[in-house]
Amino acid sequence: MGSLSQLINSVLVQLFKHVPWLASCWARRHRFVEGQEIPWAPLRKPLGETRIGVVTTAGVHLKSQPPFNMDDPEGDPTFRVVPSDAEKAQLTITHKYYDHSAADQDVNVVLPLDRLWELEAEGVIGGIAPLVYSFMGHIDGPHLRTLVEQTAPAVARRLMRDGAQAVFLTPA
Amino acid sequence: MIQRAIEAEGIPTIGITLLKEVTRKVKPSRALYLRYPFGHPMGEAFQVHQQRTILLDALKALETVTEPGTILEPGYRWRRHVFGPGP
Repeated sequence: MGSLSQLINSVLVQLFKHVPWLASCWARRHRFVEGQEIPWAPLRKPLGETRIGVVTTAGVHLKSQPPFNMDDPEGDPTFRVVPSDAEKAQLTITHKYYDHSAADQDVNVVLPLDRLWELEAEGVIGGIAPLVYSFMGHIDGPHLRTLVEQTAPAVARRLMRDGAQAVFLTPA
Repeated sequence: MIQRAIEAEGIPTIGITLLKEVTRKVKPSRALYLRYPFGHPMGEAFQVHQQRTILLDALKALETVTEPGTILEPGYRWRRHVFGPGP
């Protein structure tokens, strides 16, 4: 049973990768938590003076941290906290719902920390918040409520506490 | 969803998206859409110019976008667009 669903999943992962319009079809049919009013916070300072926080839903975490739960078909609403200056060799990806072979070779494909540090060194951005908040994006069923009501607001408050003045997010 | 929660806390946000349909429904404040395959929001492995250009496009949107719900589309073609060293 488990191996059959894993097989179906890996076929779907490859299909979504190679046939992009399938993904849009899925998106049109799938129900999402639809937004109503759009929240808005303006940038208060020029980018060169702004400290950037980083959030990803690509399932990146430190090898020393527990992996995301891949056994629950409705995903894992928890997050991992990764130092923004972590060595790339310490990072890994746990996420079976997308093909992360490119990101395994170069994590900048999903989490561009090297590029961000280059922009910081050049003064294009004012700084990088010390901690990256990392989720795995495949979250469904009851976990969606946990994400919306608990984990996402908790991460928002933590980013504020970390002194992030703008936040950049990447998907899987 | 996560992006909306952060913006609601008072921090401006910009997110990359590979699924325009989803972004239209979820309605984050600012998004940069790329017609790239899943797993490649910043482009291809070791393509520094490409990753840098996408990152800069996204970060600059924090300064330039004034309309909530804007989805920017730079229109880079997957594996076709030639990215220079840029600014």
